[in-house]
Amino acid sequence: MSITDQQMHDSHDDHGHHGHYEEGGNHHDTAQEKHRKEHMATWLFIFGDVVFFLLELFFWFYLRANNTAGMWRAANCTPANGKLGPTDEGLNTCTDGLFNPITHAIPKANPVYTIIVFALIAIAAAFVWFAEVQSRKGATKKTTHPLTALALFFVLAAIAAQFYQFQVLPFTTIQGTYASTFEFYMGSNVAHFLLALVIVTGLWSRSRLGKFDNGKWYQLHLSRLFLVWVAASCVILGLVTIFFA
Amino acid sequence: MSTIAPMLLEDTKLEPKAGGFYRHQNFLTGLIVGILSGFIGWVVSLALLQGSNFGSDMVVTVTLTCWVIGFNAGMGTFNAIFRWILGHDQNHEDELYAAGVGQGWKRYWKYCTDHKVVGTQYLVLVMVLFGVGGTLAMMIRTQLLSPNSRFMSPETYNAIVSIHGMIMIIATIIMVSGPFANFIMPIMIGAKDMAFPRLNAMSFWVVVSAVPPILGSFFLGGVPAGWTTYAPLSVQAPPAMDAFAITICTFVISVTVAGINTLVTVLTMRAKGMTMGRLPIFVWGSIIAGGLGLYAMPAFLMAQSALITDRVVGTGFYVAEQGGTGWLYENTFWIMGHPEVYVILIPPVGALIEIASTFARKPVFGYKVMVAGISGIATLSIMVWAHHMFTTGWAPTLADPFMLTTELISIPTGIIFLCMVGTIWRGSIWTRLPMYFLYLFIFNFIIGGITGIYLSDVPADQYFHGNMFVTAHFHYTLLGGGLVGAMGAVCYWFPKVTSRMLNERIGKTAFWVVAIGIQITYMAQFYEGFQGMARRVANYNALFVDANRVSSAGAYILMAGMLIFMYAIIHSWRHGKKASANPWHAKSLEWMTLTPVPLENFLVDPVVTGHPYGYGEPDSKPVAPEMPVPVSANSGGSH
Amino acid sequence: MSYEEKRDEIAEEVKPIVAHTMPFHKKAPAKVVYITIVFTIIGVLLALFLPTHMFPFSMSPEMHDAVLTFVVFTIAAAPVAALVYAIAAYSLIAWRKKGANNNEEPPEDGAPSHGSGLITSLWIGTSVVLVLFLLVWGMAELSAETAQQSNAIQVNVTGQQWMWTFSYPGTGVTTHNLILPEGRQIDFNVTSMDVTHGFWPVEMGVQIDANPNVIDHIAATTNRLGSFDVRCSQICGLYHAYMQTKGTVVTNAQFATWLASQGASSSSIQSYALSGK
Repeated sequence: MSITDQQMHDSHDDHGHHGHYEEGGNHHDTAQEKHRKEHMATWLFIFGDVVFFLLELFFWFYLRANNTAGMWRAANCTPANGKLGPTDEGLNTCTDGLFNPITHAIPKANPVYTIIVFALIAIAAAFVWFAEVQSRKGATKKTTHPLTALALFFVLAAIAAQFYQFQVLPFTTIQGTYASTFEFYMGSNVAHFLLALVIVTGLWSRSRLGKFDNGKWYQLHLSRLFLVWVAASCVILGLVTIFFA
Repeated sequence: MSTIAPMLLEDTKLEPKAGGFYRHQNFLTGLIVGILSGFIGWVVSLALLQGSNFGSDMVVTVTLTCWVIGFNAGMGTFNAIFRWILGHDQNHEDELYAAGVGQGWKRYWKYCTDHKVVGTQYLVLVMVLFGVGGTLAMMIRTQLLSPNSRFMSPETYNAIVSIHGMIMIIATIIMVSGPFANFIMPIMIGAKDMAFPRLNAMSFWVVVSAVPPILGSFFLGGVPAGWTTYAPLSVQAPPAMDAFAITICTFVISVTVAGINTLVTVLTMRAKGMTMGRLPIFVWGSIIAGGLGLYAMPAFLMAQSALITDRVVGTGFYVAEQGGTGWLYENTFWIMGHPEVYVILIPPVGALIEIASTFARKPVFGYKVMVAGISGIATLSIMVWAHHMFTTGWAPTLADPFMLTTELISIPTGIIFLCMVGTIWRGSIWTRLPMYFLYLFIFNFIIGGITGIYLSDVPADQYFHGNMFVTAHFHYTLLGGGLVGAMGAVCYWFPKVTSRMLNERIGKTAFWVVAIGIQITYMAQFYEGFQGMARRVANYNALFVDANRVSSAGAYILMAGMLIFMYAIIHSWRHGKKASANPWHAKSLEWMTLTPVPLENFLVDPVVTGHPYGYGEPDSKPVAPEMPVPVSANSGGSH
Repeated sequence: MSYEEKRDEIAEEVKPIVAHTMPFHKKAPAKVVYITIVFTIIGVLLALFLPTHMFPFSMSPEMHDAVLTFVVFTIAAAPVAALVYAIAAYSLIAWRKKGANNNEEPPEDGAPSHGSGLITSLWIGTSVVLVLFLLVWGMAELSAETAQQSNAIQVNVTGQQWMWTFSYPGTGVTTHNLILPEGRQIDFNVTSMDVTHGFWPVEMGVQIDANPNVIDHIAATTNRLGSFDVRCSQICGLYHAYMQTKGTVVTNAQFATWLASQGASSSSIQSYALSGK
């Protein structure tokens, strides 16, 4: 993890000036101090995201446990009981969000697409990680540029796959809490992938300019931390949707 | 002055193109781009979505999201991201331009990365927000002057109650951690700026972009559901609710960014010798509140983004017909909501401890105990959320454990009181204006704290919940405690922030009017609570009329006091006596530097050799006794 | 001005005032104790005499519990508040410097004490004891309140925007003005047809939210004849403030007569009135 003095010196003289404020840093920052700050900030951001992620899981399991009467996936709904609105016996749960009747149980989403999505984002994260490893070994843009390009391709593919899954779902958002939570998870994935897209686009563009040459790997490292977390959260969400539907 | 001047970075001559695109951006371009972007979003979404299910909610959501993004694009929030992607990293000159060099007063209207500019911007924003929230409060109290009041329709009244609540929550969250954790805290630890100056500017301008949507909610049907916006009422509410939720989601981004920035600054940028054990209590308060905000705000984002999807794409998280439940919202909301009140309270408490030590001329009583107390409050606060839900019917079997955790909070709260009065005890009391606010805090917060223990007890809460007693209780803590503490902080750091002394004659007048106003307003509301008046009502039984009139009268007095205080600030800011570097003869680092504070704060790097509370010690030295020889920054060639 | 001069000027300005240790008032702790005792007595007197003037008439043991809890907690908290106020007030009066209001210069430093382990331990120990007391009290009250009594009857409560409907299961009687028999434990089964409401029979001293699609339970025992208020305690939209009605506690005989007048058959009244037994 440690940076050699040589690297510190290189980063320091990036623009012919001492790196005043450079990368949001401070006048007398060495590359190592800068790295430490950004490392810490990345982890804190991931911490906040983990809290959000845990609440997503809380939503899933709370609603799933709450709907013991089969409303989770409308298990008891038949053409007969899809009456409209509240009835004397209490609220009719065999209606969707627009009070249309639900006449059949909501099917599970096809796990194949979920697996494809998390495989694609995991591959993207792996390429960034690989680029970091190469950069640490002193690789130049000849190595890092193709690797980040591949990562960019897989992030885009993951976004496309996630949008495609939206198209082929066997239910709509308004048909009960399983449908709601499932689509919320997918939306959360898309939001994370879009952030990843911004980051990986930057990595791709910067690696082309040789910004990660000569052992200046730390932005790759920070990006990798975030991407691995995105991939991990995507995998966990995916497994939850497959095994606890 | 002539020889010292070249050393101040403010006077550096920059290249004509330094700053790049920042040169063309300011608040006005932010407004223009934001409004244009919102308008385009409105036209496009109207064309595509009008008439579809949830159409009007979608249009409002898209329009306001476009406004937020557009405003920030116009301000320059995204410049650095694009420059990073394109590989045009900012050079030294660009950074100096972004920090406001050579822009005079105009830098206060720009995306300025200097933490002192951001702090000042926050101070003004907080005063504006309190002005808006206070005006709404006056309208509430005017409506309640008599039963069957015709001053406002119930619809307007409910909208005003909701927005008063949320504006005040936003204002109180940023009232100390905005101005002072930005302006003062980095100087206190001997840093040159925050760890991430651009994120610091972002945290401010993102809040600014969050304000118009919530005010716009008045023109979108009004939020009828109180600041808590319990579902499913909030799911059925008019499109105003979308505006409300967009404001929250935007605000969450700001608080998260600010929290990360504060933590990283303190953990990595302390001056030489400034160990964690020598941090002023205010710094401890700032980082604990920042960390707590980092935990709380994602829950707010979750609660409100699920609410948006319920409203805009028809998910059913909170809708009983679709298998959802309002309890899910209530839980998520209060998982945010209870830590959040300590995000509000801890920074003012930290500031008051500084005030206690400075004006009693004594070291802080039990420094470590105090830090442990604040940490204890923060830790417990994430385990108590369901005490807001004792009467909601959710999990009655959990009443006992939540009663336990809630009552446990009174132990660390007691520690805070111990440290405050322990610091004053045997002190040499210098009754300047900040000290007044410390005393008012102690008086009010005891009342707010003790009324809290009735609410923590389920059988008593069965009577007091949802009743004006609760309203009075949290106003005693958040206004009587938090805001009073923030006012003390304003008085204390005013000379450092504005380079002028606060006019204490006007300030003391304001103090007494505010102090009396608070007691009248909220004591009367406690009485309404005892009598059984429900919260958030536009109309009430004749039974409650006396207490309500007293409360309204008190509220007018309180508002008058606040206006006088605001006058004191504005008047002194413009015409006040010039302040010296250390008018309070205090010992922490922020008083060891020039006033006005130069860019990068210190002419020489401070080296800290002791704690900042060395009053009365015979061998006491200033915190950084030997200003070392100038480091290369000043003597070398880099500037 | 050269840099060094400026530096020295700042250093001069922040130079500590030479410390004179304050003469310690030997009698200070005793005086604080006296003030504390006086404040405590005032607090206790207020706790004992004010509630009767502030709370509405209690119409159930649950309401009585709430008032009693208020009194007991106030008495328990009074010494703590009194002590804090006494220390703050005494310090201000005894150790405030003459003319300190407007002095530009601070007074000499106070005592250089950094705290006291003994006092801190005592303080924390006392608060732990008080918290335990509060907790035990609350748990005891709560378990007493939630105990099912043998004579309970069921009342269904439905909130909707913006009125309350009460029905007596089995009798077919539905009303908007709650009528209850005296001396019975009433089990309220509370639900809502639309949004969340707060069912609050004020003088009964209990409160529960009415949530859609859920039935919440709360029990209160009527122990006094007379009328009481029913309010909505959870904001529920436009006419939240107007969502209130009256309740009346009548004798058992009057209650049966009233049910009959609402069209309930005598057998259903019989079985309903006996339902708890």
